[in-house]
Amino acid sequence: MKAAIRSSALARIFLVAGFGVALSAMPAHAQKPGGSITVGLELDIPGFDPLKVGVYDTAALTASSALFDTLTYLDASGKPQPKLALSWSHSEDFKTWTFKLRPGVKFHDGTPFNAEAYKANFDRQKDPANKCRCAFYIAAVKDVQAPDELTLVFNLNDPSVNFPAITISYANQNGAVHSPAAWKAKGDDYNRNPVGTGPYVLKSWTAGDRIILEKNPDYWDKDKVYFDRITLKPLPDAQSRFASLQSGEADIIWDDEADADSIQRAEKDPKLKVHTYAGSGAVVAAFNTKVAPLDDVRVRQALVMALDRKKMSQALTNGLARPASNPYGDGSWVKCKDDGALPEDVEKAKALIKDYGKPVEFKMLVTATPRGRATGQVLQQLWKRAGANMEIEQVDQATIPPRAFMRQFQVTPWRIVDSADPDTQMYANFKSGSPVALANYSNPELDKLLEHARTTADTAQRIEDYCAISRLINKEAIWYWTFQNTYYAISSTKVKGLPKMYSGVIDVSRAWKE
Amino acid sequence: MAFFVARRLLYLVPVLIAVSLLTFSIASLLPGDLAYTILGDQATPENVAALRADMGLDQPIWWRYLSWLGNVMQGDFGRSFRTGQTVLQAVSERLPVSIELMLLAQLGALAIGVPLAIVCAARNGSPFDRFMTGSAFGMLSVPTFLSAILLIYLFAVELRWLPATGYVPFGEDPVANLRFMVLPALTLALAEWPGIMRVLRSDMIATLQEDYIALAKAKGLTPARILFVHALKPSSLTLVTITGINIGRLIGGAVIVETVFALPGIGRLLIGAILTRDLIILQGVVLLVGAGFVLMNFIVDLLYAVLDPRIRHGHA
Repeated sequence: MKAAIRSSALARIFLVAGFGVALSAMPAHAQKPGGSITVGLELDIPGFDPLKVGVYDTAALTASSALFDTLTYLDASGKPQPKLALSWSHSEDFKTWTFKLRPGVKFHDGTPFNAEAYKANFDRQKDPANKCRCAFYIAAVKDVQAPDELTLVFNLNDPSVNFPAITISYANQNGAVHSPAAWKAKGDDYNRNPVGTGPYVLKSWTAGDRIILEKNPDYWDKDKVYFDRITLKPLPDAQSRFASLQSGEADIIWDDEADADSIQRAEKDPKLKVHTYAGSGAVVAAFNTKVAPLDDVRVRQALVMALDRKKMSQALTNGLARPASNPYGDGSWVKCKDDGALPEDVEKAKALIKDYGKPVEFKMLVTATPRGRATGQVLQQLWKRAGANMEIEQVDQATIPPRAFMRQFQVTPWRIVDSADPDTQMYANFKSGSPVALANYSNPELDKLLEHARTTADTAQRIEDYCAISRLINKEAIWYWTFQNTYYAISSTKVKGLPKMYSGVIDVSRAWKE
Repeated sequence: MAFFVARRLLYLVPVLIAVSLLTFSIASLLPGDLAYTILGDQATPENVAALRADMGLDQPIWWRYLSWLGNVMQGDFGRSFRTGQTVLQAVSERLPVSIELMLLAQLGALAIGVPLAIVCAARNGSPFDRFMTGSAFGMLSVPTFLSAILLIYLFAVELRWLPATGYVPFGEDPVANLRFMVLPALTLALAEWPGIMRVLRSDMIATLQEDYIALAKAKGLTPARILFVHALKPSSLTLVTITGINIGRLIGGAVIVETVFALPGIGRLLIGAILTRDLIILQGVVLLVGAGFVLMNFIVDLLYAVLDPRIRHGHA
């Protein structure tokens, strides 16, 4: 098979040709450089050294997308585009991916970015001696080779047809490229003195208060960077975070459905703009199909049919949350004519439970948080109407993964996160024998479809596979989906040029103010 | 006096040991295992077992307590598993903010409470006195999270006089620092002044009935001189106690106020440690805060002795 190499020029032509419509639909704004932006985040950022923090949360990601570059980035249609990598190609079995790197890029400390530097990042995360939590997310990559200065080869354990769109496409704990010289020189202090190649350089960091980033004067793409300064502030209280936006101390703030009140007020405020990203994935739950009464497909179907997602959304998020009928969501390129969703029908649910003939009693894990408890109570009521008794078991957030891995549950909440490609999570969640195949369910047909979807290059064929997978899972009712993932930011109307919030990341590194 | 101080210092030892024991057991008895928290989505049974052994979590609890206490004695409070920061680093970064907040709040509360108490005591039973004692009772019942949000909406969103959230270190820009501190300190002061006012008022009323006050009146001293010079000092013993105990309440209030106003203080550090299950930071900070509280009350005890000589001679 011929390797599909894309040069940056080709990519640009593709961009212009393919997305001319999208571009012309955007009103023309004078993008004047200068000024600054203040971003209100939810959490304190613990740091940036993957060895120390393990995983970046959404607050850290906002900072890291300004400090660091990645090999690729996702454009508005979710396709990978060149950043530190100029072009890429793959082997016939999709297990080897070769990237040509951008020449002449330097880290903020002046040391050069090259294949060797990337490999050093990867090896450091992968090294078992470093016991990095981040290693989990690159488990699919066997190793990285640097045959020359500007060539990088990824050897994968399993085929991945859309590799440039995942992991390396956004500045998470694995995707962000750090300066090896800096982490070696700074040791323990590197965590809060990160050095990347990105459009912004760390200027100062007041613990628990603010991080100030300044424009990198030597950035390779500096013409597209407008603000002189970015200030990131953790504002943990949702109400005062919104008040800070209203009073003008913050230009843009992170928010979520739990704070539906502020979002709905901002929608009515002519001075504010609500940015919404309908991501892929969903808020989901898994049934343990090995334990009675959930080992019976009639019971599982009845429980799914008894869901009333509109009502749930109303009760939990003032109606903001969007109901989900499959694991992909509106943000995914997987669109199904028929995803096999079971009807929301209490009468049918009642009939199925009656048909089952025995009392349906089981426990569900919920997180011991106000949101978790509320969700549990709503489900309890919905299922009661169908004649099933669910008992809520409140546990600590951190207890859910181990309980799920050890299959010590009957129903457990879970999440399918926003991702450019469904393969990684679908394969982990549904392939027989995978540690995250929580339903304890095994079906050769499902395995075959998952295997086929991950080794097929043709997108149309993959969509068909994934829709067949959705139909099968919905029919067997081994997992159910409640809401799609929606990510929110609220800004003053002056803030322009915010890209899609993939994975919920507010990336202001190429935004500007009117 | 030296003997008095030495004896009081000796009392501190069992108190501090009790504080450390309580802190450690609370952190250890919380539901959820530290190993699970650290491993997150990779908490397979093998990984958990390996990490528990690595961190000494498989040891009996008394052994873990003793080794933690041993490290603490040598000044090693441990490190955050999330940031790699030591407890002492984290606390020293955050402490100035909280101390400034508490001092300003305490000053604010005294500035409101003391004059009102004196006026009310002087006009005991007047409509003004009854109105003020009534409103003090009302203010006492307003929780800080509510007054904080109300103050933000009034002064930051509507009037735009003061910033809603944020912080600038005092050394960097004193004026900006105070602007950021006004609302949080006021929030705490609003919750504290009623207690101060009510206690001082009733003590003052009692003092004003003493014979020597009648003597002062008979001598023809001005009412202001009687109130401020002769009556205030002997009436302020309970006030000092209240101020000492208030430090504890202020630490509690600071957790909420620092979160609402996004101040990078000890309260935020604690909340962050609780939310992320950073137990090492949590138990270290609680121990330090507890020790600080005990020391503050020790200082209050000493202040008693200064205010009332009978106490240092052991007659009271």
